[in-house]
Formats: sequence, C-alpha cells, structure tokens
Amino acid sequence: MSQLPTYGEVPGRPIGEMSRRGFMRRMLGVGVAILSVEFLAGTVNFLWPNVRSGLGGRLTIGTPAEIIANDPAWATGTPFAFNRARLFFLNVPAAKGLVDGSGASVTDPGEEVLALYRKCPHLGCQIPPLCDQSKWFECLCHGSKYTILGEKRAGPAPRGMDSFAVEVVEGAYVVDTSRIVGGPPEGTVTFDPRDTAAIPHCAG
Amino acid sequence: MTIEKRRNATADKNAPTQAPNVPAVERGAGPKLPGPPGVPGTERFRLLAYVKQESLVRVDKRPDETLLTWPHLLRAEFLAALLMGVVLVVASVTIRAPLEEMANAGVTPHVAKAPWYFLGLQELISYFNATVAGAFLPIIYLVGLALVPYIDRSPYKAARDRKTMWVFFMCLMVGGLLITIIGSFFRGPGWNWVWPWDGIFFTL
Amino acid sequence: MTFPGPGDLVRVVKESALWRSLFRQPYPTTSRTRALAVMNNVFLHLHPVRVKKHAVRYTYTFCLGGLSFFLFLVLTVTGVYLMFFYVPSVTRAYQDILSIENSVAFGSFVRNMHRWGAHLMVLTVFLHMIRVFYHGAYKPPREFNWVIGVVLLFSTLWLSFTGYLLPWDQIAFWAITVGSQMATYAPLLSDESSFLLLGGVLVDQGTLIRFYVMHVIAFPLIAAILMVVHFWRIRKDGGISGPV
Repeated sequence: MSQLPTYGEVPGRPIGEMSRRGFMRRMLGVGVAILSVEFLAGTVNFLWPNVRSGLGGRLTIGTPAEIIANDPAWATGTPFAFNRARLFFLNVPAAKGLVDGSGASVTDPGEEVLALYRKCPHLGCQIPPLCDQSKWFECLCHGSKYTILGEKRAGPAPRGMDSFAVEVVEGAYVVDTSRIVGGPPEGTVTFDPRDTAAIPHCAG
Repeated sequence: MTIEKRRNATADKNAPTQAPNVPAVERGAGPKLPGPPGVPGTERFRLLAYVKQESLVRVDKRPDETLLTWPHLLRAEFLAALLMGVVLVVASVTIRAPLEEMANAGVTPHVAKAPWYFLGLQELISYFNATVAGAFLPIIYLVGLALVPYIDRSPYKAARDRKTMWVFFMCLMVGGLLITIIGSFFRGPGWNWVWPWDGIFFTL
Repeated sequence: MTFPGPGDLVRVVKESALWRSLFRQPYPTTSRTRALAVMNNVFLHLHPVRVKKHAVRYTYTFCLGGLSFFLFLVLTVTGVYLMFFYVPSVTRAYQDILSIENSVAFGSFVRNMHRWGAHLMVLTVFLHMIRVFYHGAYKPPREFNWVIGVVLLFSTLWLSFTGYLLPWDQIAFWAITVGSQMATYAPLLSDESSFLLLGGVLVDQGTLIRFYVMHVIAFPLIAAILMVVHFWRIRKDGGISGPV
C-alpha cells in the first residue's frame, strides 16, 4: 500500500484525429449538453417567483395632505411607516429639522421625499421606528445604526438603508417597489455627523 | 496475479494456434484444459477471473482477516441503531421542541439568529466585509472540502503520516466549532457580547 | 389422543408454501446459509458477504455513517407522519403545528423526534466526515466518494434549513430571514438568488411552499439517490478503508 493505485491508460486517438463515428458521438454529446442547459434554464425560469401583489409592484402612498391626515407628525419630520411596502416615508426637510432641533413644519415637501426600505441591509431584520433618544434608525437584531436619511453610522451593516424610487403622479406619491436603490456606501456623511459614542441609543 | 499475465491470456485468446513448443508456464497459470490429443505440452489455458489484489475477495485469503456480515456486522449495526433509537425516544419524551408565537414580519425579535450550524457564518459576517464572510468563505469552504482528495496526494492514510494536512483540517474544524459556540452562546440582543451566565440567547 | 400445541402451528406455518416462498431458506446458522442470506436479500446485499475485521469495531467507525443513514430513515418516517397534519400555508401552518402538539395522539412526540433527529443527523454527518478524514479514507480509489459525501453534507444542511421554516413561528421566520439574507452577499447573483430562493422579496407564502417542496420531496430524493451511489461505491471499493 505504499504506492497509489493507477487507473490505467486513457484510451483514445491522438488529438486532431477523429473518426466519423467519433464525430457523431461527440455531436450527440453536444446535443445532450445543449438540452441539459436548456432544461436547467427552463427550470430556473419556471421556478422564478411569480409576484403579483404586495411588495414588487407600484403602490400609491397618497398626497401630502392624506399622509398628514393619517399621521400629523409627518409634517414635523417623524417618518411615516407605510406598512404595505415595508418602508418609512420621509419628509426630508422636516426630518432634518427634527434632528437639528429647528422643528420646522413642512406640509408639502414636493420632490424632497425618501422611501427608506425597512429591511436592514445587514441580515434582513425589520428596522423599528425612529429611536427617540438618538433620532437614528437602530436595528435591534444586530445593532446597525442609521441616520434619519438612512446613512450608516455604526454596526455590522455593509451600507446605508436601501430605498425605493418615488414618483409624484397627480400630486400623490407613488413608490415603485420593484426598483430597490442600494443604500449609500459606508462613510457617506451628508447630514447629521454626530458621533456614535456621544449620544444615547435604543439598541446596544 | 499481474497485468503481464492478463496480457498473455488475451493474446492466447486472440491467437488460438500457439507454437507447440512454447512452455505452458509462460502463458499464465490457471486450470489446465486438454490441448490437441496426442501432442504433449500443448495444454491451453483460460483466464477465468482477474482479481485485483486490494479487493475484498483475496486470492491468498488468510482465514483470520474477515468476518461474516451475518451475524457480526449486522449485530454491530443493530446495536448502534438501537442505542440511537433509545437516545432519540428519551430525548423526544423529555425535551420539547421549541415553538414561539406565530411568525410576524412586523415584530422584530431582539435576537435574530440563524440555525445553529450557520451561526459561525453569522459570527464571521460581524467581523469581516459581508461579501467575503457571507459568500466567499462558505463557497471556498465547501469547494475546498470537496477537493480534499485531490489536494492531499500523499500515499499515506494514517493521520500520523500526514500531520500537516491533519493539523490544518482540525484547525478549520475546531475554529468553526469555536466560532459557532461564540455565535450561539456569547451573542445576545444587538449581536453584543453576552456571557452565558448573564443569559442564553439560543434556540435549537 | 394428543391435542396440537403451539409448536405444531409453527411447524404448519413454516412448512406452508407461502412461508417457504417468502423465506427461501431456513434461519441461517451455517457459514453457507449466512452468506446466502446476505447475498439473496436486496437490503442486506448492501453489504458484502464477508467484511474486514476492523469494519465491525465501534472504535474504528463509531458507526457514524450508519447512524446518519439510520437517522435519515427515522426522519423520513416521522416526516411522513407529520405531513398528514400539516398544510404549508401561512395562515394554517402554525395552527397545524399547535394541533400536532396538543391534540394529535403522540403528535408532540413525533414532532420532537423529527426535530432532535434532524439536529443529531447534522452532527453525525459532520463527525462522520471528520472520522473519514482522520483515517485518510478518501485516498484512491475512494476520492470521488468523498466528493459525494461533501454533497450529502450540503444536502443534510439544506434539508435541515428548509425544515426550520415550516413551523412558521418567530424562531423559524427570523432564522430564515437572517439565513437567506446571507445569500444576497454572493457577488454575482446577490438579490436574484435570494429572490429565487424565497419566492419573492420577503419570507412569505412563496417561501413557505418552496421550502416545503424542497424539504419533503426534492432534497430527500436527491439525498437518497446520492446515498445509493455513496454506499455502492463503498462496496465496490472493497468495503470501508482499512487502518494503516
């Protein structure tokens, strides 16, 4: 047992030579290979999820007036939880005012809105509502922390919070949940540069 | 029996008319068949079986090397299965499988952990860049495992004869075990470090 | 006059055509009949007639491969039992688990056995791999059987993972959410792989039915086929590898 068993010679003609029978056999093999690839592609296609409702389609959130009627705090910057699409809808100018303390009330932010996806880009937990102490979004699962605009400040997440594309159609906000925009990369600081250690947090 | 003799046997089959004066011994050993009547020394040989030496049924079978499957092996297997069955029954009667309240996408638990065998991976994700830890490492791990026989080409079998490979493998296994234990018993809410005596956040 | 006793009944049964067509030989007591018993039985034929001495020693194999197979059988049986009471729907699944736990006779016992058996199987498969590595049993000609073994290890993990979702409780939901999000870190497929896996963007009805189908038929079938090849190759490579 001190030597490895051999598997014998590999039979076959020298490279470059091919008999008619060998050619036919090879073509048959190629045919079977193509069929297998087609079968595999067809299977993946067949199994591709057929999403008709809920997340994945275009959902109307409503006009600013409707949102404020639903949740008056939206005008002063509190993110509006639109649960059908699992997102926080942000009145950006008012939200900035909420964080820096100016307390501005904005009833019609126009295009200055943000639909932040509540699925944490780390491991997919649902991000709870804004933390009162820090005015940040803080994921309870693994401690990722984001500013009110979804920029990552602390924790294991690879990037900021993802968001959806928003359009204004006849005065109402419509969110396209089939188009997820990846969050800002780590290190993006456009607003709220407070230090993590300096402020109290909800999540550890 | 060697391959040399098998070639002889094949040659014998292909060319039935051998020169009468070739000594029988050179054409391999085997049961003697009567040759043409009246011509001494022309006995023909037929290869009945070609037995590879390392296979189970040995040509030079020594009587003390093997045991009968019935009853020896079957008894061993039966006893092992019986023991495992007893362990299973006792465990199933005494320990209840965990069940919490119904799934709710809106309620994020403070601790969200993957099944225990993925907790090492989840722990890794909290250290490294997620693409490296979450995607490359498991792929490399599985593919690397599958390729083990093609990497370790030394002819030795026993662990003491291939220490490097064994130490390397055990480092991977023990490392995986340690990191799984850390992920299982030392991580609590927010994936923060928690000593097991301060609370165990682990469900099987 | 003597009355027929139980022994006579046994004799009548054993001499009947039905019995003798079922068991073509008496209980094996000689080397010859024992060899025939193994050779003629389709299940026992998994083994050769004679095995090397060390193959029987518990301290050599710890029977880990055999125990993994035994647990697979236990899981198949208990799994089929559970299937009679379980509907993979987000509105019903959890209620079905509750009724298995509370109102089905031995329901809790069967569910516990399925769960603990599954965890044990992951464990025995891992230990089996370490044992095989220790003995260098993947050396030629057994290289490819090791590869099949690695695929079987993956199948075992995957079976356990898909089964983890089925109770549809908070543990299951978030474990699968977290576990499958790891797939989105794959460099090329990222979100698509998770979308295909989950049958949608989130863990929902689409995920439950996908995981159910993979758990109860697709992967058990794949694993069973691979096991057949695994065992066959062990047999053809001359039984389990020997100590050196």
